[in-house]
Amino acid sequence: MLRFIVRRLLVTIPTILVVITITWALVKLAPGNFYSGEKRLSAAIEKNIREKYGLDKPWYQQYGKTVWSIVGHFDFGTSLRFEGQSVNTIIWRSLPVSASIGILAYILALIVGITAGSIAALKQNSKWDYGSMALAMLGISIPNFVLGPILVLIFSIGLYWFPPSRWGGFPSRSLVLPVLTLSAIYMAYIARLTRAGMLEVLRSDYIRTARAKGLSEKDVVIRHALRGGLMPVISFTGPALAFLLTGTVVVERIFALPGLGNYFIQAALNRDEPLIIGIVAFIALTLLTMNLLVDIAYAFLDPRVRYQ
Amino acid sequence: MQFRQIVGLVLLAALACTTYSCTVVSSKDEFYGSTVPPKQNIFRYVTGDEPATLDPVISNGQPEARIYMALYEGLVEYNPKTLAPEPALAERWDINNDSSELTFYLRHNGRWSNGDPIDANDFVYSIRRALAKETASRNLSLTLAIKYSQAYNEQQVFVRDPQTGQFLLAKDFDEHLPPQPLSSSPIDAAKSEYASATTHPDTAFHQQMHSPLRLTLPGSEKARTKLLDANAKLKAAVAGKEFVTVKAEDIGVEAVDNYTLRISLGQPAAYFLGVLAHQVFRLTPRRVIEKYGDFWTRPEHIVTCGPFKLKTWVPYDKLILERDPMYWDAANVKLDELHFYPITDLTTMMNLYKVGEIDAVYNRGVPNPWLPVLHSKKDYMDAPEAAIDYLIMNVTKPPLTDARVRKAFNLSIDKNAWAAWRRVVKPLTAFTPEGIFPGYPQPKGPAFNPPEARRLLGEAGYPVTQNSDGSFSCPKFPADQVEYMYNTQGSNRAMAEWMQAQWKQNLGITVPLRNLEWKTYLEARAKLDFKGFTRGAWGADYMDPFTFLCVFYTGGENGTGWEDPKYIAMLDEANRTLDHAKRYELLAKAEAYLLDAQPIIPIATTSVNWMKKPYVKGLYPNPGSLYPWKYVYIERDQAKWDFSTPNLAE
Repeated sequence: MLRFIVRRLLVTIPTILVVITITWALVKLAPGNFYSGEKRLSAAIEKNIREKYGLDKPWYQQYGKTVWSIVGHFDFGTSLRFEGQSVNTIIWRSLPVSASIGILAYILALIVGITAGSIAALKQNSKWDYGSMALAMLGISIPNFVLGPILVLIFSIGLYWFPPSRWGGFPSRSLVLPVLTLSAIYMAYIARLTRAGMLEVLRSDYIRTARAKGLSEKDVVIRHALRGGLMPVISFTGPALAFLLTGTVVVERIFALPGLGNYFIQAALNRDEPLIIGIVAFIALTLLTMNLLVDIAYAFLDPRVRYQ
Repeated sequence: MQFRQIVGLVLLAALACTTYSCTVVSSKDEFYGSTVPPKQNIFRYVTGDEPATLDPVISNGQPEARIYMALYEGLVEYNPKTLAPEPALAERWDINNDSSELTFYLRHNGRWSNGDPIDANDFVYSIRRALAKETASRNLSLTLAIKYSQAYNEQQVFVRDPQTGQFLLAKDFDEHLPPQPLSSSPIDAAKSEYASATTHPDTAFHQQMHSPLRLTLPGSEKARTKLLDANAKLKAAVAGKEFVTVKAEDIGVEAVDNYTLRISLGQPAAYFLGVLAHQVFRLTPRRVIEKYGDFWTRPEHIVTCGPFKLKTWVPYDKLILERDPMYWDAANVKLDELHFYPITDLTTMMNLYKVGEIDAVYNRGVPNPWLPVLHSKKDYMDAPEAAIDYLIMNVTKPPLTDARVRKAFNLSIDKNAWAAWRRVVKPLTAFTPEGIFPGYPQPKGPAFNPPEARRLLGEAGYPVTQNSDGSFSCPKFPADQVEYMYNTQGSNRAMAEWMQAQWKQNLGITVPLRNLEWKTYLEARAKLDFKGFTRGAWGADYMDPFTFLCVFYTGGENGTGWEDPKYIAMLDEANRTLDHAKRYELLAKAEAYLLDAQPIIPIATTSVNWMKKPYVKGLYPNPGSLYPWKYVYIERDQAKWDFSTPNLAE
């Protein structure tokens, strides 16, 4: 197990390097630059800006500097769009916003999704099953850029219950609508995954054995069926949680939240090279870490899985 | 539950939402949404995108400009209604007879937010910093009227004779150089350069400024050699001379004493006083900048000089400013706090406005589809903006190299119909916005005239024929050599389709549309990498027609490929003219010349198009959407609320 973890960690470094290189190249290839605007700057001003930010240097020097400062000092540099703000600071400042929304949304999605999925599986082909699966289908089908404004329309503009947007800190009423919007699709996925996993497990031999041993239905479901039935949910959790932690562009835009996703999209639109590279590398690192954690969790949940 | 029942339920829910949303939007209230004033004495506003920086010198954005107006002050400040310059850190000023030298008398009670006094040396430092190459200010072009500013920024050199110590003069090598302004002419002790009776102290620096303009050459040896090789006379004159780099101390800004500042310009510029209210001329703190470098604007370091100072800054969330007790006019600052929220999504912003979480939205903030309902609300702000929408034509690629073709495309657009459809713009046939510059004899471009357009096209070799169904076609016109390029944002697509339909209807030409992502679009436009048409917009940097006409002054950067020395000479002549009315006439003449050359198609003067709650007072829909915040307050007496757009003339 330890060897497996060490090996995976070692693979992370070249993976991140590749990610940085590809991102850097894509940013360089994208037309436009961070300082262009509706009013075009004079050639003299553009020259000053390019010199100030080292954009007049040959590409290999720029690339070398970027990679060295990231790998050597874990420093993503200073944002081009936001004068004097370091990318590291921006990431650490916006991460808690994205993470709190993401974690809350995922907890909600787990509670509702697993409950609905289990009920649907246990009462297969009943109105509970059809009802929860229909809702799950709706959750998957309605994109969050539709659901968010609908929730705002009803609960903010209409009923004045929750603020329509903006970050009000943690915890606050401003979290409710973004968390609901964000969790809907995950709720739906988890419900469907749980139902499918449970149905498969409920038909398996060891459940029959458990029942034959005379265990109560409650014990069968909670101790045996649910544990096996949740395996697909666990593998879904890794990447899902990584994306939720590192910000969701759409929800953060709709609700004007100062999260990582909002910065990411703005950085891409603004051609803010250090910020794009920083956030992409950070997301990649989170994703790799979450996947590793999922693989470890697998080993504990399913005794048949062992890593050599 | 049966499938049909589920579908039914979904449809019912959708219907309920739609009905509900309609009732929400088409509310019959006289105001849009909540009109409950904030409990505290604060004003909450969405200014647009997250500010790029809190350094007023660097950024050229309008969202930032509004924030800088709260945090920093300059020599003069905009009038809240007209944007005309008013005394700020300068109590009064004198301008010499040809508007080439300005002397400012600073108030003695100016203070930084840390309590330090403000004096003329702060302004000298601030202006020199704005002009320094390392600062990389986006607003550099607004500062270049100052003597030797461009030479300093571009690190050029003077040429000095080592024997005599004399500098070579520009007039000896350029016969087209305009006459020397008063600021570069010897001081005549017998004749006052100023109309006012105030005595202006003379100094060694003043004497130096009042000498003829020195010759400047490129700082880099390579560029200089190239220039000298092309000019034998210059090369011979320069031989044996020494090159002296233009320093910050050489530019035309001088602290005559602690409270007197003198600015010398390289040419007469009647508009320059108005430019001094711009963000680039707002005061920045020397000590803090020298100590913290690029990080001086961080909340823990920043020192400001405006009516408000920084309290909290959470990027992409909020920027909270509080009244600065050190501000010289703190007693007249009415608000305790100003809250800026960085939001660019118009729907999100309007939702916050409706529920009363913000008190006003930024200009052009009301989305188009909402206008039919919101336009009639009493909190809707409707007033002309010092900004225009126009079409740019690439005059370097045929068939638009032919002015007749360009004119034909202009004549075949019904701008009145466009304005009526858009609701919030006024039709425009000139390049300066209509009704913004009082006394300016704005020339009128030709009106909508499709028959004339077809005649011109025919004359250019592309005859337009009428079909049996009344429509037109122009088979010889190479429609594949033109396109309409735009960026996918706001109403740009609607505008592109409208223009396309007009040309199809009136000329029988279908111009293909091409949409691009914002930065890609800007790159293509800057490099003239498009054929035919693209959209353009321009807003005033200061309140003078020259802020529009100068788009074609520098050449090459206007997106059309059109440049004409005659047009530039006409503008130069106008700016040299001392008589205000005569200057306006000459500017109008230059504008008429530009319209006749037709590198652009004027479309509309835009409207400010924003909303503010009725209890917000002292905030006016001025043409630049720039607000001196010290006048803004929350009125709790309903009888004194605004029940329409405040009058700018009163």
